[in-house]
Amino acid sequence: MKEKNGNISASPPAWKKGSGGKEALPTGLVFFPAFDWAISPTHPEREERLLYTRDQLFEEGVMDLPQIRQYQPRLADHKDIARVHFCVPDIETQATEAHRVAAGGALVIADALMKGEIKNGFALVRPPGHHAMRVAHGNRGFCNINNEPVMVEYLRQKYGLQRIAVIDTDVHHGDGTQDIYWHDPDVLFISFHQDGRTLYPGSGFTNEIGGPLAAGTTLNVPLPPGTTDEGILFVLDNLVLPIIDEFEPELIVNSAGQDNHYSDPLANMSFSARGYAILNEKLAPDIAVLEGGYSIETALPYVNMGIIMAMAGIDYSNLYEPDFREDRFKEDPRNLKKLEGIVQELTAVFRRRQELVQSTRLQKSGSLLQRNRQIYYDTDQIREAQKEALRVCPDCPGCLLIDSQASGPRGHFRVYCINIHIRCCPQCRQEARDHYAEMCRQTKELFDYVYLQDRAADLYLQYDCHLNAEDMV
Amino acid sequence: MSKILVGIDVGGTFTDGVVCAGGKILDSAKHPTEEGDLQGSIFAVLDDLLQGVKKDDLANKIIQVVLSTTLVTNLLAAGGGEQVALIMIPGPGLNLKQLDFFPHTYIISGAVDFRGKIIEPLKQTQVEEIGTLITAAGIKKVAVVGKFSQRNNSHERLVEEILKNRHPHLEIVRGFEVSGQLNFLRRAVTAYYTAVTRDKWARFADSIKKALRKRGIVSPINILKADGGTMPLEVSLHNPCETVFSGPAASVMGAFALTMDQQTSVVVDIGGTTTDLALILEGRPLYASRGAVLSGRYTHVRSFAVRSMALGGDSTLRWTGNKISVGPDRLGPAACFGGPAATPTDAVNILEKGKLGSLSLSHRALEEISKQAGLKVEKLAREVVRRVNDRLKDGIDDMFRSWEQEPAYKIWEIVNKRQVRPDRIVGIGAAAGAFIPALAERFGCQALVHRYSPVANALGAAVARPTLSLLLHADTQRQSYYLNLEGITGKFSSDGQLADAKDLAQKKLQEIAEKRGIGKYADHREIFLEEQFNMIRGWSTTGKLFDVGVQIASGIIDEFKGVQP
Repeated sequence: MKEKNGNISASPPAWKKGSGGKEALPTGLVFFPAFDWAISPTHPEREERLLYTRDQLFEEGVMDLPQIRQYQPRLADHKDIARVHFCVPDIETQATEAHRVAAGGALVIADALMKGEIKNGFALVRPPGHHAMRVAHGNRGFCNINNEPVMVEYLRQKYGLQRIAVIDTDVHHGDGTQDIYWHDPDVLFISFHQDGRTLYPGSGFTNEIGGPLAAGTTLNVPLPPGTTDEGILFVLDNLVLPIIDEFEPELIVNSAGQDNHYSDPLANMSFSARGYAILNEKLAPDIAVLEGGYSIETALPYVNMGIIMAMAGIDYSNLYEPDFREDRFKEDPRNLKKLEGIVQELTAVFRRRQELVQSTRLQKSGSLLQRNRQIYYDTDQIREAQKEALRVCPDCPGCLLIDSQASGPRGHFRVYCINIHIRCCPQCRQEARDHYAEMCRQTKELFDYVYLQDRAADLYLQYDCHLNAEDMV
Repeated sequence: MSKILVGIDVGGTFTDGVVCAGGKILDSAKHPTEEGDLQGSIFAVLDDLLQGVKKDDLANKIIQVVLSTTLVTNLLAAGGGEQVALIMIPGPGLNLKQLDFFPHTYIISGAVDFRGKIIEPLKQTQVEEIGTLITAAGIKKVAVVGKFSQRNNSHERLVEEILKNRHPHLEIVRGFEVSGQLNFLRRAVTAYYTAVTRDKWARFADSIKKALRKRGIVSPINILKADGGTMPLEVSLHNPCETVFSGPAASVMGAFALTMDQQTSVVVDIGGTTTDLALILEGRPLYASRGAVLSGRYTHVRSFAVRSMALGGDSTLRWTGNKISVGPDRLGPAACFGGPAATPTDAVNILEKGKLGSLSLSHRALEEISKQAGLKVEKLAREVVRRVNDRLKDGIDDMFRSWEQEPAYKIWEIVNKRQVRPDRIVGIGAAAGAFIPALAERFGCQALVHRYSPVANALGAAVARPTLSLLLHADTQRQSYYLNLEGITGKFSSDGQLADAKDLAQKKLQEIAEKRGIGKYADHREIFLEEQFNMIRGWSTTGKLFDVGVQIASGIIDEFKGVQP
């Protein structure tokens, strides 16, 4: 929660009132290394990933400090997952116990924060999630279930939060989270990452600014390979922080990948552990959730310590990697120039966001806006074809209809998905529910499953077209 | 007559002792504990106990004397002991200058990483300068502790060498000797406290040994540890800190000796001022996940998870205007034994019609409060017992909750999490009989108050067996293994497997047990941790890391088969 320069948002959310002593509270930590889970034995996402981090954290004794309070994760419910994902064919298939524990770790931190037990918290969990999209046919970029949106939707349903900022600091574009909040004007999603022309997943360019009714609340900063502490902190100071201030979120989430680190084997950036600490001190996320980061021995132990120390307000001046050299982190002036240009461009987009949405509403109200997409699941080698249609409503963020089909290891599935925004107007909601009933009745030959995600009612239905059976999650 | 066991437990208020044989307590003794003269209290109890033992049996039949004492705890609490300098070698991480540590703490250069690689060299001149400062301040003892010194102790050894070169009289405690478990801060605290208390503990141990030998006892003398196990007196000279919190451990072992089965028990030891709560989960006492807290700091001393509540049989009762308050202070014994104020013991005494002590004294003490409260004495007495049980129930519920919330690091641990409820409540201490049955009723479980409950702590000490816990970390790439005990390291084959690591850990446990004179208990060893990680660099396996834990867990010596009902 940002409250600097006396710039306090007009009405603080209920849970923040009377929390004058918040700074005195500890930082919550869920450390869940999942020592019994791997994608495959030699995969970067394997048992060993957080082993040295454990050794460093335990040997350091941070859990003993009064500034830290450790929590145990729990299993996220199927309903927690159904709020975010259309899992094909069902939740059990996509969300294994490992995924549910990782997402559950984030939920535990969310609860502790909302109950006022902690001032902020870090879910240091694996497996990661930020490449998992709204429709989940399999594993993309090491992810099945997207932990941050599962937590965000939980916070909205359980605690009534509305406006949330998710800042993705992983070196890879957070395309899954972007997809989930593409049409949501209440969630500010900013991702900075290594330029998609040089790294997986190949997206995240400045022209990706969100859907027609949520334009300007998705922002992407492609960073040139080799960008250093100075460059990343420049983007933070000049773009991310000012925009967060203007957006006035009730909660800030750091989707905290650690693969911007100079030693990461899968990317090419030059960020240091101390840079991560400064970033988290400045960003001051209410909740951080671990994403990627595969330099398991040279970076992760130090970066994780840095994030924990910064969030807990512990002096991190003695934190450095064994091979850290101060002079390595000066930015190339040409890069800085490039970044300045991106900052200006995106600031302009953000400032024009209401205007952009307004003009869509004026011109297109009542119509269906469509886009066709091909989505590739690298881990599971699945190709998904998606037709997405948004009904443009003059009053609300509208409802979203997705026709998705893909062939994977479990066969070919074609599914129809209906999403109702939590702030959906009664008319859109009724139309969407009628549409669901009609699809269940009429399109049995075309689809294997029809799903309804009614966030306004917190109701999630799944219709099996072959068995003619409806399940409520 | 069968073999004889002697146990003595020095508590805060009383020192208790028992002599037992063949599942029966032959004799027990009780003396008030003189804080300034623990030896005197121990000898008084000992002499009482030995009166009933024949001269011949002293030498022939006593197989162990176990002592549980508060000496080290008291020393640290009172700030006694030796002046010690602490040298820390932290490397990257927390800025220790910001932490409130001990006086005479020096932070020096040098660093080792989690794999045991030296990532920053030591500076000899820096160590030499500190040596000069330390000796100039008249300090003779030094604790030197490096981060990850269990994975590579060469820096700690080098500091010792440099210091001893110029100042041969310095006595040095090295971190790796004290504990090889992960947690540098706890290791520093434990090493420091070891240096602070070692001499005084050695003097105490020596006088205890002489006193026993003078009385004709030739059996092994063992010291009870916080983990409910014993260690030979000679071993305790190196690890004086392990003797702390042996009082609560004695109670838990006492409860264990009274039950000796696989049930889940809550142990409630009601003393004069405090009540200690502990859990035995399906026949295994629960350990504190973080190590014992000494003078407000976490240590590497393994101890039972004991929750101490400021609530005892002698807690002062008062009327606060709208309710009755119990404790937290104790003004003296209960009124029924001539004490100055009304206590929970008096309330029970009234309900039990004077079974515990003088009924009229109890009545007189409670009457004053009953007038203020406008309640009849009997009703007030019932209210007191209800309030005491309310608080005990809250404490027990909370203990189960914190146990359920212990961190876990594997998926199966989260998925297979289950709730455990007590099968019974075991009462320890003289006042137990008064409170435990009603408390057990609240939980809907059995109550166990044995005729030996009043001296179960000393019984627990008498029958406890040795414990030893060994952690082995092996790294096939570095071809080395590291133990948490005594700084032992050695070679581990580059193609070693988990089975080899487990074999090695068990072999080492056997060796160390034999060296410590507890070799015959090595058969009771069990593996409590086995983890293996493949080290993948690029896409191929470059080595394996193993963590194996093997222990002789706390338990009862083979010679004791359980109490007679």
